[in-house]
Amino acid sequence: MSDFKIASREQENVNVLALKGYLDAHTAPKLEEAFQNLIASQHFKIVVNCKDLSYISSAGLGVFMAFIEDVRQNMGDIKLTNMSPKVYNVFDLLGFPLLYEIFKEENEAINRFFDKPK
Amino acid sequence: MPRQQRRHTGPAAQGDDAESSHFDHAALFEFSKVINSSLELDFILSHILLTIMGKILSTRGLVALRRDGNSYGVETVKGFPSALRGTQWTIRSLPAGSFAVSSLDGKKHPWVRSLQDEGVTIVLPLVIAERTIGFLGFGERLARKKLHAREITYLRSLANISATAIEKSQMIGELQRVNRNLDRRVQELGTLSELGREFSALLDPEKLVRLLVFSLLGQIGVRRYVICVKNGPDMNVVASKIDGPPPQGELLSLLARIKGPTFTKDLVVRGPVDPRPVLDSLTLSVLVPIELKGEARGLLLLGDKLSREQFSEGDLEFVASLGNLAIISLENARLFKEAIEKQKLEDELLIAREIQKGLLPSVIPEIPGFQISATNVSSKQVGGDYYDVLRTSDGRHIIAIGDVSGKGSPAALLMANLQATIRALVPLGLSLGELTGRVNDLMCENTGGDKFVTFFWGAINHRDMTLTYVNAGHNYPYVIHDDGTSGRLEKGGMILGVMKTPVAYEEGVISLRGGDMLVLFTDGVSEAMNAQQQEYGEERLERVLHRVHGEDAPSVVRAIHDDVALHTSGAPQSDDITMMVVKIR
Repeated sequence: MSDFKIASREQENVNVLALKGYLDAHTAPKLEEAFQNLIASQHFKIVVNCKDLSYISSAGLGVFMAFIEDVRQNMGDIKLTNMSPKVYNVFDLLGFPLLYEIFKEENEAINRFFDKPK
Repeated sequence: MPRQQRRHTGPAAQGDDAESSHFDHAALFEFSKVINSSLELDFILSHILLTIMGKILSTRGLVALRRDGNSYGVETVKGFPSALRGTQWTIRSLPAGSFAVSSLDGKKHPWVRSLQDEGVTIVLPLVIAERTIGFLGFGERLARKKLHAREITYLRSLANISATAIEKSQMIGELQRVNRNLDRRVQELGTLSELGREFSALLDPEKLVRLLVFSLLGQIGVRRYVICVKNGPDMNVVASKIDGPPPQGELLSLLARIKGPTFTKDLVVRGPVDPRPVLDSLTLSVLVPIELKGEARGLLLLGDKLSREQFSEGDLEFVASLGNLAIISLENARLFKEAIEKQKLEDELLIAREIQKGLLPSVIPEIPGFQISATNVSSKQVGGDYYDVLRTSDGRHIIAIGDVSGKGSPAALLMANLQATIRALVPLGLSLGELTGRVNDLMCENTGGDKFVTFFWGAINHRDMTLTYVNAGHNYPYVIHDDGTSGRLEKGGMILGVMKTPVAYEEGVISLRGGDMLVLFTDGVSEAMNAQQQEYGEERLERVLHRVHGEDAPSVVRAIHDDVALHTSGAPQSDDITMMVVKIR
């Protein structure tokens, strides 16, 4: 079984999911479940910290796509942070930087939720 | 040598020459350093324009680069209207060196005219080893002065350095593009191989479809999709995310017959149904049919991408591969499930057969003056046939035959139940009619009324040579007398297990003489089918019985068996064949 873990915490009304290990076809359902739980409990401000994410495949990326519209329709967002160059390269190849806000640090992403709308 | 030439050319102050030339060289060196320090084409072009515009004191400059053939397109502009970007000219041959646009004939060359119209007065071709890769164009100089020869030389040096830097940057850019495409293909292959692995390990069709959806979302970034899988004759939607009800039935079957991935807009409508309005209303712009062994097995309909980008050929290829992989895996999962179920069924039948074998008496008790022979040939499905021979405490013998409705282990279990009931009740010493009523009541409680048993039993009293019997809805056994006359054992009541005994079962009594023969059988004998679906039939059975009634019990059993086999002649046996022959010596 591939090693993949999600640590979830809440900070200033923003839910942070810290991913660890391999996010692939095998482990994607775990992330799906985590998003489902957040959405079911009306949490739509989500930051995904990828600091310890060592690999992501397109099935993993698909989970982000599956929920992004729901989340944005509810005035929320999924923002991504702390990606290793290897992980960022996959996001970049598949054109995700156009679709998602990606930050170097988790705090920047959290603060972004409290920016005044332009 | 240039210095020599310059001496003769202009009225420029001779004393500045050395210094100015030194300045020119230093500036060239600096220019070369700056534009070669970057691989960004925009930066390089911008720096070239600004440098030259500063040098010749012009407020407007543009760079046009050769695209393919003789086509040149404007890449960057400074001072000219930005709408000029992207403008293309066809130029068969650009004059060498720098030149004034006004010196060319605008009537002969449309591009010259166009440049003149835009206000381009000076053109500097960008040439590397006699290949023209583009040109620089500049507007009127502020001072409206003509360029000195020395300035022209200097500009040509700048142009040469620029051309090399531009080409290097273009090549790197091209390499990066190729590299990125390659990266993307590698990534796609990685995805396919990962999914191939994962799919083949998944036997749950729902999970499989979920994974397919994630991969489509992640790899292609689609927002809307419909995934259909063929199940029997119909295309069924197994997953979808669209704004409205998914297309159904006939329309899907029609779409699935399309060969290869297609854009909705390119669909060729042949029949009376035009699927395009439905697909357009759901913004489903791409169709990917999936075939397996030349037969349409699935269909993916894809909508817009979240990025609003168009689908590329590569995207379609990827989706087709992914879809094939998923359909094969779904097919495997289905076959696996079928195999498991078949195995389960066979295991169950094996159990049923074991139960049945265990219930039939292994040794038939001896009755003085009687010879008993019985056989049970169970069918593949295992019917619920049963026979038994018991000795009672008062010295009589019970012969019994029964047929439980249904097949497989439920029938076998009910049969076991019947046997246990009989064996428990017989020692009570009640009359056969009363016992049958009790057996029926107990069977009713156990079956809940949805199963039944046809049953015949009789008590042989070898002392007074009588048979007392009850027939509960079973095929009437034969009694064949020594003289060739015959009768049937019909008395009794209704079949067992349907409802509690309303009227007592009637007992029949016959007397037995030497040479008489009793033949008990189940419908597996009389209804044995041949390949033409014709039943063996009781008439044919009777003919055999009359032919062999003088023989001993085992011979009669064998004769019936062989005649039935002759009738079916290899057609699969559909039901258990069970019979018991009792011969009185």
